[in-house]
Amino acid sequence: MEKKKSNGDKYLFDLAIFLATSASGCVEEPHLYGPFRLIDALSRLIELPKYATCIKEDPFLTKMKSVIDEKKFLVVSDTEAFKAFLDSLVREFAKELKRRSLERRKRTG
Amino acid sequence: MDVFEAIKNRRSVRKYKPELVPKDLVQKILEAAVRAPSASNIQPWNFIVIKDRKVLDMVRKISPGYFGDAPLAILVCSDKERAYKLGGELGRDYLTVADCALAVQNMLLAAYASGLGTCIVKSFSSTAIKHILEIPDGIEPELLVIVGYPDQSPKPPLRRPLQEIAYLNRYGEKYFEK
Repeated sequence: MEKKKSNGDKYLFDLAIFLATSASGCVEEPHLYGPFRLIDALSRLIELPKYATCIKEDPFLTKMKSVIDEKKFLVVSDTEAFKAFLDSLVREFAKELKRRSLERRKRTG
Repeated sequence: MDVFEAIKNRRSVRKYKPELVPKDLVQKILEAAVRAPSASNIQPWNFIVIKDRKVLDMVRKISPGYFGDAPLAILVCSDKERAYKLGGELGRDYLTVADCALAVQNMLLAAYASGLGTCIVKSFSSTAIKHILEIPDGIEPELLVIVGYPDQSPKPPLRRPLQEIAYLNRYGEKYFEK
């Protein structure tokens, strides 16, 4: 448990410095790097349950992480495909949001 | 290896094996770098070879564009004072960047011909990298070259066709027939 916490401290700092340097870089970098850094940050954030004992791994998010890691570099090879990927990612999230909402409604009646 | 083969097949690698890069290959890469042409032969470059794990880790963390866990990185810096002294404002403000880029291309090709993968990273925080590597004023970090044995073979990205971008004698006159 203690080990997990110390790794968690490192994880938090690494994510924080990634976000800070990304924010600074985005001032001058190509505008599509903004979405790219955000999506990369999301991929890193999804790893949070590995370090925080109070959060359970979310299979949907884990699946989205592997999709993100597979597709994120389209930003440097095919910008139109990158934009389409972001759109399809959001669609997946919307579908999941709806599914969870319906499930909650069924549970609560 | 034929130089055109290296030019055609080199890729930006973002996944590396943990295997260390031998010292003689690092030297070969640096020797290729300094054989690049430079404006007025100013040779404005300096190279910081980073192989200490802890330093490499810090550099990775302040570089959002740094992917993979390569065992080596080489930071190519330009000496702005030297460039200004020998090349004036044009030398300092523009040509240093072009010269360092030429050196980097030589590095990438030499690395590829030695079985290594590379990736150029410009997405690092200059402020942070200067602090971490104790780079003095007047020396500017230009490009970071990640080096290691590749653990992936990325597909080549699409290239703009020559028919669209090569002209003959004047802008707009196609060099190539369709």
